[in-house]
Amino acid sequence: MDWFGCGEETPPQEKAPAKGPAVLRVSEVSAIIAGLLDDRRLQDIWVRGEVTNYKLHSRGHHYFSLSEQESGEPAVIQCVMWRSSSRNLPSGIGNGMEVIVFGHVGTYAPQGKYQFYVREIRPAGAGEKHLLVEKWKKELLAEGVFSEERKRTLPAFPARVGVVTSETGAVLQDIRNVIGRRYPLEIVLSPTQVQGDLAHREIAAAIRRIDGRVDILIVARGGGSFEDLFPFNHPDVVRAIAACRTPVVSAIGHETDVTLADLAADLRAPTPSAAAECVVPDRELLREELRVIRGRLGKALTVRLGHARDELREIRDRMHPGRFLRRIAERRQQPADLADRMARAIQARLEKERLLLTSLGDSLAARSPPAILARGYCIAEKDGAVVKSAGQLHPSDRIRLRLRDGSAGVRVEDVAQEGTHDTDV
Amino acid sequence: MTQTYEELITELKDVVRKIEDGETGLDESILLYERGAALVKQCEELLAAAEMKITRISGDP
Repeated sequence: MDWFGCGEETPPQEKAPAKGPAVLRVSEVSAIIAGLLDDRRLQDIWVRGEVTNYKLHSRGHHYFSLSEQESGEPAVIQCVMWRSSSRNLPSGIGNGMEVIVFGHVGTYAPQGKYQFYVREIRPAGAGEKHLLVEKWKKELLAEGVFSEERKRTLPAFPARVGVVTSETGAVLQDIRNVIGRRYPLEIVLSPTQVQGDLAHREIAAAIRRIDGRVDILIVARGGGSFEDLFPFNHPDVVRAIAACRTPVVSAIGHETDVTLADLAADLRAPTPSAAAECVVPDRELLREELRVIRGRLGKALTVRLGHARDELREIRDRMHPGRFLRRIAERRQQPADLADRMARAIQARLEKERLLLTSLGDSLAARSPPAILARGYCIAEKDGAVVKSAGQLHPSDRIRLRLRDGSAGVRVEDVAQEGTHDTDV
Repeated sequence: MTQTYEELITELKDVVRKIEDGETGLDESILLYERGAALVKQCEELLAAAEMKITRISGDP
């Protein structure tokens, strides 16, 4: 009735074509629902429940319901798992099985329903253990237990190898066999249970007990199911390995099984036998190495002696006697040469003196009175003395002239001194 | 096989290297050779003497 009134105020015939009550299409509503379900709380979640109404479609897709019967109120959610995800499906899935499923909630518009799109499904017990391992892994990763910087190199020549494993069983025997074959040495066993609900405590204790008492430690277990290996994922064991002062080699299960203990070890070996090979060298290879070194040693000395011999030969050649004789002769030559030079010098000097003497003798002879007379000069003598100056003579003096071959008495006529005339002889 | 084997083999390699290096004197080379030969013998003896032994650490709580 009211709405008629409303209609009167705003006549529908005027507004209806443009602004009538909004009418949505089905697809639009479906899209809104899909949008509402696109909630973080419904994406990538694990859900636990019991499988009912399981159907394997001919195309390989799996359809089932996940139900819970708690306090009498049933709760059910439809599930679908595409064929493409089937590899994450454990074998033997069927009605009544407790499982955990991973996936997201979404709508299926063609049938107007919402359902859980399963990407992974695991049996509830083991599945939850897997999830636990993943949680532990995150925590231990944050602790830095797996970091590469922590990894130590193994000692090249350990004296004692520690083994943490079951006292009974093939693992210890395998390790013994390999070590005995490659390089027999002392094996120290720290025995422990390797499976069971409390095995992780025992394993961790066995590791702590032997740490520091050996040079290297092998933590090993034979192959088994995920459940069997589960203690080696436990943080107690992982932390015990990480805390070891002794380097640790792990060999847990088969090559495809990787436990958290493996990630914390300094080295992961694919099998216990391989672990044993990693920790001890091969004695035959060491012997071979020694043979090679011994050969090098002998050869090195031979080469060195060869060098010494060459060196000696060279020195001997340089010291040959001929060289010495030559040098001695050279030394002797020197005084002989000096003596010669001295003799020659004296000879020359004597010759020179002799010549000088001869010439002096000659000039002396030339100056002797007979030589002077012989050249036509004469000597005047007065009263037996040689007249040297005109001043000694006076007119009428009698003087004697000495000639080369005789003498004559002469009377002075006049005397003419140099500067005064009237002197005549 | 002990820490000693490692030390012996390290020294042995050093000895060989020194002789091979032409700088080392002849007298020293001969002494080194004697040392090297002794080391080889010691190493061989160590390898030959190795024997398997298993001990057990009991689980004291």
